[in-house]
Amino acid sequence: MPGGRRCPDCDSTELVEDSHYSQSQLVCSDCGCVITEGVLTTTFADEGHLREVTYSQSTGENEQVSRSQQRRCLRRVRDLCRVLQLPSTFEDTAVAYYQQAYRHSGIRAARLQKKEVLVGCCVLITCRQHNWPLTMGTICTLIYADLDVFSGTYMQIVKLLGLDVPSLCLADLVKTYCSSFRLFQASPSVPAKYVEDKEKMLSRTLQLVELANETWLVTGRHPLPVITAATFLAWQSLQPSGRLTCSLARFCKLANVDLPYPATSRLQELLAVLLQMAEQLAWLQILKLNKRSVVKHIGDLLQHRHTLVRKAFRDGTAEMEACEREVQGQRQGEEEVGDSSLDLPVRKRPASPALLLPPCMLKPPKQLRPTPPVCTVTGDENISDSEIEQYLRTPEEVRDFQRAQAAGQAAKSLPNPL
Amino acid sequence: MDQNNSLPPYAQGLASPQGAMTPGIPIFSPMMPYGTGLTPQPIQSTNSLSILEEQRQQQQQQQQQQQQQQQQQQQQQQQQQQQAAAAAAQQSASQQAPPGAAGQTPQLFHSQTLTTAPLPGTTPLYPSPMTPMTPITPATPASESSGIVPQLQNIVSTVNLGCKLDLKTIALRARNAEYNPKRFAAVIMRIREPRTTALIFSSGKMVCTGAKSEEQSRLAARKYARVVQKLGFPAKFLDFKIQNMVGSCDVKFPIRLEGLVLTHQQFSSYEPELFPGLIYRMIKPRIVLLIFVSGKVVLTGAKVRAEIYEAFENIYPILKGFRKTT
Repeated sequence: MPGGRRCPDCDSTELVEDSHYSQSQLVCSDCGCVITEGVLTTTFADEGHLREVTYSQSTGENEQVSRSQQRRCLRRVRDLCRVLQLPSTFEDTAVAYYQQAYRHSGIRAARLQKKEVLVGCCVLITCRQHNWPLTMGTICTLIYADLDVFSGTYMQIVKLLGLDVPSLCLADLVKTYCSSFRLFQASPSVPAKYVEDKEKMLSRTLQLVELANETWLVTGRHPLPVITAATFLAWQSLQPSGRLTCSLARFCKLANVDLPYPATSRLQELLAVLLQMAEQLAWLQILKLNKRSVVKHIGDLLQHRHTLVRKAFRDGTAEMEACEREVQGQRQGEEEVGDSSLDLPVRKRPASPALLLPPCMLKPPKQLRPTPPVCTVTGDENISDSEIEQYLRTPEEVRDFQRAQAAGQAAKSLPNPL
Repeated sequence: MDQNNSLPPYAQGLASPQGAMTPGIPIFSPMMPYGTGLTPQPIQSTNSLSILEEQRQQQQQQQQQQQQQQQQQQQQQQQQQQQAAAAAAQQSASQQAPPGAAGQTPQLFHSQTLTTAPLPGTTPLYPSPMTPMTPITPATPASESSGIVPQLQNIVSTVNLGCKLDLKTIALRARNAEYNPKRFAAVIMRIREPRTTALIFSSGKMVCTGAKSEEQSRLAARKYARVVQKLGFPAKFLDFKIQNMVGSCDVKFPIRLEGLVLTHQQFSSYEPELFPGLIYRMIKPRIVLLIFVSGKVVLTGAKVRAEIYEAFENIYPILKGFRKTT
């Protein structure tokens, strides 16, 4: 009996804690007046302390569903590995990764779509760890998933399982991708002059991709468009006389390969690099090559590519270091105080040799919005009433707005006059 | 293999266009989860101007003292050099200039970084790495500090207005508010100065984004609170807290991201098929950096300005290591 409390009706001290079904109440035993009562509904905290048992928990439904789901997804993992013709050890690894992922509650409670995408993620991670070249695009096609959803699940699972996933191996990807081009045998769609020897094309494509990598065309970009452009150039250069008229789009159609959208710009960038290199060869300087005619000489250029790249391009980073040192030297020379210009002087240079920099750094710098003058703000200034008033509607505006809203609602609720 | 392999290794329809790169992790989330109802110790719960003023004066005094010390040291060293042999005349000439330059740099850094009044909790930390404590070093300054200061681009902060709000009324009577309950359960309000956006929830909690400095964020939050006050709600200004700060800078040289991910694989994630930048998760301080091939670096996840500066000073020597192309 709680001390000190009296019934408000009969002033008695005989108060009893009695519960009306599940609701706890404090009742006066003399007159029956209910003084206080507990809450009728449970709180999240109550449920957290296991006072409530949900229906699905009591029937064990959740566990059954999740186990059957897991079995289905594991079967999908094995099917996917078989479709991709992966070695059997990959299958076991991928299944192990899936089971490991499934032990995390976040994955178990995820939507079915995510669990299905996870199938692809586990296969991809397995392939990457064994240096088996598989792109995310392929996996997404096979599991009918969006790249956005796939990327989210992939990043999440790599972080969750703490995995170390090596980068895509470029050389292997070139070999696999090039082998898929249908240009190695004559067929009704592929005329004889377009057929090419696989080994020659592979080796030349590899050299071109290596060249692209060296000249900053691969870092930060999707690898496949670069490889497509390199394959096209390799194919063209092996027999330029008959093939210069064939465009990149037509080439991909002939070879029965999808043309990735960025491939055309990668092609232009690669041709620009080759042109820069061609200017260093004496017998090509005279010919005054352009982007079409340089294709005929790709063989020569690739043969001497290391020397040519060194000669054709100034090391962009060495240039900047030299600039910085010069500016520092100037600063040390000057005893004057107050020279606070930190901008490197823009130097006029002859057109060639060009800077070896990624294309994004070679483009003219964007016109940045002029930074507003930094005014010292303390955060505690006075806020004038007029400044706030400008953000409030006048009563007339409010009335007009309400009228407009009402009219809009009325128009919506009217049946369509048809 | 060739004949059976009818699978397209690359699907055009699923090509990731350059614009739609999603790292998949909400790195730039304007909505920081704060609504647990538990607010940890706020930085400035009491809005007492006098305390701030005092601390600012103290800092200024400290800075002045530091500068005086440096100048004294420089003078002493200059005297020592003059007493040295004639052969040292050249050295002194070259060493007089760096004191001039080193004496310059503290002011430069201060004028760059302390244009806005520093928060009391953070200032003791960052002036020290910026101001070279040993004033005369013939070595290039780049080996001590990068000389590049990350610029703050966005500050996300939260505040509790301390009363329940009627969002319909706010949306009706405020000019700069939008409210679409079917889309999102908060009023989106914008003010022009400082140019920021606020999400105001019916519980009375508010998120303020878009400010370029901590003080601006606080001022903007106060303006939003004042607007809500004028609309007739008993709004207070409780538990103002900076949740996230985003900074960016340019190291001005290209970076070999493939090399960086090889040497720092436990911190880096580089997936060119998904996102053109490398995601570097620094442990101390806990900051996420987005590093791009052009040398631009974005730093995010900081609660105080010093963390951004510290993170950049940590990453700069690592990036310099990848400067050479060969």
